[in-house]
Amino acid sequence: MPSTDEELVARSMGGDLDSFNQLVLRWERPIYALAYRVIGREEDARDVAQETFLRAFRALKGFKGQAKFSSWLYRITLNLCRDWIRRERRTPLVQAPEGVDVIELAGEEAPSETVEELVSRHELGRAVAKAMSQLPEEQRTAIILKEYHGLTFQEIADLLDCPLSTVKTRLYQGLTVLRKQLREAGVESTFGK
Amino acid sequence: MANDRGNPAGRIDMCDSKELLVSFLYDEIDPVAKRNFQQHLATCVECRDELAELGATRAQIATWTPPDADLGFRIIREAESPKRRWFHWSPAWGFAAAAMLVVAASGAIANLHITYGSDGLTVRTGWNHAVDAQAGATNVDWKAKAQELDRRLVDLERAQSQQSVVRTASASDLSEQRVREIVGQSETRQQRMVSARLADMMREYDAQRRLDLVAIGQGMSRLQTSSGADLKQTRDLLQRYLVRTALEEKEEK
Repeated sequence: MPSTDEELVARSMGGDLDSFNQLVLRWERPIYALAYRVIGREEDARDVAQETFLRAFRALKGFKGQAKFSSWLYRITLNLCRDWIRRERRTPLVQAPEGVDVIELAGEEAPSETVEELVSRHELGRAVAKAMSQLPEEQRTAIILKEYHGLTFQEIADLLDCPLSTVKTRLYQGLTVLRKQLREAGVESTFGK
Repeated sequence: MANDRGNPAGRIDMCDSKELLVSFLYDEIDPVAKRNFQQHLATCVECRDELAELGATRAQIATWTPPDADLGFRIIREAESPKRRWFHWSPAWGFAAAAMLVVAASGAIANLHITYGSDGLTVRTGWNHAVDAQAGATNVDWKAKAQELDRRLVDLERAQSQQSVVRTASASDLSEQRVREIVGQSETRQQRMVSARLADMMREYDAQRRLDLVAIGQGMSRLQTSSGADLKQTRDLLQRYLVRTALEEKEEK
């Protein structure tokens, strides 16, 4: 049975480097995904993810366990992303390939989907990425944490240091803007129904 | 915004409460409020449509996946860093020390005097003391001290001559003359050494300059040769291309 985050954290604090590396292995994908969706640049997101674990390792002794380890990682990542956005003074740029390699896509996706569905899904992903990049940072972050990382309203409020009601408002406003932008981009609103 | 419990009787409150809508959308709502909102949805088309639209948008944004990245991060223990020293030896220190040594040695050989006063920086060497008007006061001091020394030597010799029957009055004169000769010889030797050192430095500088000029000349020649070769190669390629094109045209005709 795999160890829980709390167990691995406790062992890491005792100097067990392997335990910490198990945490890294467990969380590197979600952390990279969070960074990528917030800043929209693959290489920079990778750097942010790497820096997140380095900082977490260095500050491990200061981790009191009041929040979940994952929430602590998310907080470090979001701070680094915020620094990146401030430093670069630019809005996220979503790097999406221009063309769609259908064969490559077919290898990745579920066999039940037709080629048309694959292409449609890929293009939809690009449209969503573009629409997300145009959202204000607070709304984008709230939606990312809720939709892709499944955090509760309260966890998001704690991470972003804002009231619960603000989180809900940001989610509502963000979703409404996305719906409008996707409609303007010609994306079928009946998708997924 | 209205509270999460909603108000079945107050339709306007329910419709205005976007917090309630979002809570219902994500199913993070207490059971009582959920039941009330469901009752409201049964009668409110606008809220039902909005909920459906937001649900569809959620499904759409779920399609955005980040590109695959080669991660595999791993923390490795840092090697223990060496203790910080207050002094770190580097080649620059070596060069600085060597330069100081050369300056000190040259100064010693040349009887170098460096003063910094109201007239700015003054550098004097041993052989121009006599003509250096600025150093008059210093020369006076030296002369006074030399005279004092001479006087003491003379006194000493007089005392000795009084004690020795074989000593004559001319002995003190000879000693003084001998001291002057030694001092003069020392100055001459110092001047010779400084001149020799300066001549060596000039020779070394000149030789290095010549070497640098030769190296620059060789570099320029290589550059010219290389450019010439490139030009020739390009010309040959062009020539071959023109010949081939002409032949192809001829064949086509």
